[in-house]
Amino acid sequence: MGKKKKQTISTTLRYILILLFCIPMIFPLLWMFTTALKDNAAVFKVPPQIIPKEFHWENFTKGVAKLNFGRQFMISMGVSVISCIGQVCSCMSVGYALARLKFKGKKLWFYLIIGSMMIPGMVTVIPVFRFWTKIGAYGTLWPMIIPAFLGAPFQTFLARQFMTTIPKAYDDAARIDGANRLQILTRIIAPMSKPLMTVIAIQSFQGAWNNYMTPLLYVISKPEKWPLSLGIGRMTSSTYGTQWNLFMAADILYLLPVLIIFFFCQDYFMEGLGSMNNTGVK
Amino acid sequence: MAVQKSIERAGKPFWQKEGFQAYLFMIPTLIGFPLLCAYPMIYSLYCAFCDWDGVNSPVWAGLKNFKYLFTVDPIFLKSLKVTFLYALINVPVTLILGLALAVLLNKKLSGIKIFRVIYYLPTIVPGVAAIVLWQFIFKSDIGLLNGLLRQLGFSGVGWLTDERVVLLSLSIIKWWSVGGMMMVFLSGLQSVPAELYEAAALDGANGWKQFRYVSMPMITPVLFLQLITGLIGCMQAFEEAQIMTLGGPNYASHFINYDIYTTAFTNQKYGRACAESWVLFLIIMVLTMIIFRKSESYVYYEND
Repeated sequence: MGKKKKQTISTTLRYILILLFCIPMIFPLLWMFTTALKDNAAVFKVPPQIIPKEFHWENFTKGVAKLNFGRQFMISMGVSVISCIGQVCSCMSVGYALARLKFKGKKLWFYLIIGSMMIPGMVTVIPVFRFWTKIGAYGTLWPMIIPAFLGAPFQTFLARQFMTTIPKAYDDAARIDGANRLQILTRIIAPMSKPLMTVIAIQSFQGAWNNYMTPLLYVISKPEKWPLSLGIGRMTSSTYGTQWNLFMAADILYLLPVLIIFFFCQDYFMEGLGSMNNTGVK
Repeated sequence: MAVQKSIERAGKPFWQKEGFQAYLFMIPTLIGFPLLCAYPMIYSLYCAFCDWDGVNSPVWAGLKNFKYLFTVDPIFLKSLKVTFLYALINVPVTLILGLALAVLLNKKLSGIKIFRVIYYLPTIVPGVAAIVLWQFIFKSDIGLLNGLLRQLGFSGVGWLTDERVVLLSLSIIKWWSVGGMMMVFLSGLQSVPAELYEAAALDGANGWKQFRYVSMPMITPVLFLQLITGLIGCMQAFEEAQIMTLGGPNYASHFINYDIYTTAFTNQKYGRACAESWVLFLIIMVLTMIIFRKSESYVYYEND
């Protein structure tokens, strides 16, 4: 009996702690949301109003109109979707070769890919910048898109790890039936790797959507080519004044697509993290 | 069998051979690695020893850039110091916080999944969106934090304008999104076999002892991985400085990555920026190597 009582106390204590930590996690997001619904006068109220007196839903449309949001949203979406497709294809292709084919220099390439994960981005940024500028890609979005088709090291590594766990017998059976290697990859391995492809797709979409550095370097001088990350990042230091309610509204709209993907693919988000030590979260 | 295979191999045209086809599948890496990794590494190493304004070709200048950085440049050493301090605050705090939250949520309770999602939510927020949000929260006049402080009768803090506070403020943003690290720890904790806990319980080990002598050793590989990725992440802080503080006040948030960025793309000193990036790279390498060396004494690998 005493043991049971002790357990109830510890469970209650745990719940209290969990709820306590929820406050700092959720409150900034809540604050963002309520600010987005205030009128400008309410934003400057001291002490701060946690829940606004009236809801100004039109802030969202106003914010959209003010920040050239629609265009930037489309650019971000386009770049992210294309990068996502490119990265899934390239990582699957390279991962397939590394996991299931025999060729000279396989080990070397594998270690080069792993090694390239260790290199800080800033070391390569300047020569890469020089390269894109030389071939006339400065002021375009190509420096964001093309690298996605050249395989990202971490996702290639994930693909390779995943594909080594699929039994080789599938390949052999397909070869006997006359399938070539491309067909084996697209018809047999890829359908069996759907979780892997989803993880790569999510990570690369998120990567492109969040990418701030690359557009900052290549299209900062061309506002008509700004993706949303740059537009949102620059808005507070721009000439739009300090309309924080509109800023917060735009900020919410910017994070919304990622949030939607998260709610539909929660398990894959967690799986992507779990893949770092071969297990997911149960 | 072997004979048959070798006959088969000899009879095939080269484009049907496995070795050739494999290289076709490797094409993305075959282009990507030299273009985005090998060539840039070599070129930036070369440029680190050059004078280069980005317009004309780089001119060999020996150790000039490095001499300048370590003896003349008033900002570089400060930015190194700031970056180290930032990592020194954040790596331990996020590791401990992430692990503590993971332990807290590692229990089958009703509704626990919802709490995991809530804790993980800030990690979903794109970096730029989070920075803009916190910029608003940190505002000294209308910001939420100062508003709450004043409610409680304290005076406001210059979160982003006081050079003694700014690093702490930027760290808070990092702590807010500790959910990602927590999830990795959580999956590590859950992969610890239940038998181990049962055995420990039989030996009379209670909560804390179970954690200290069963969970901790079993998750050291995860801890080790998080230590390295966390450190590398902190050493490369950039967006916070570029969007929120512009490195200020008084260079108190002038991270090394931001210094490289301004040296190259604002001041057009590309050679010097390359030298800085190599200093950063070497520092990261040395730190990683030290952690690897030390790891042998505390990281437990099951397969060994």
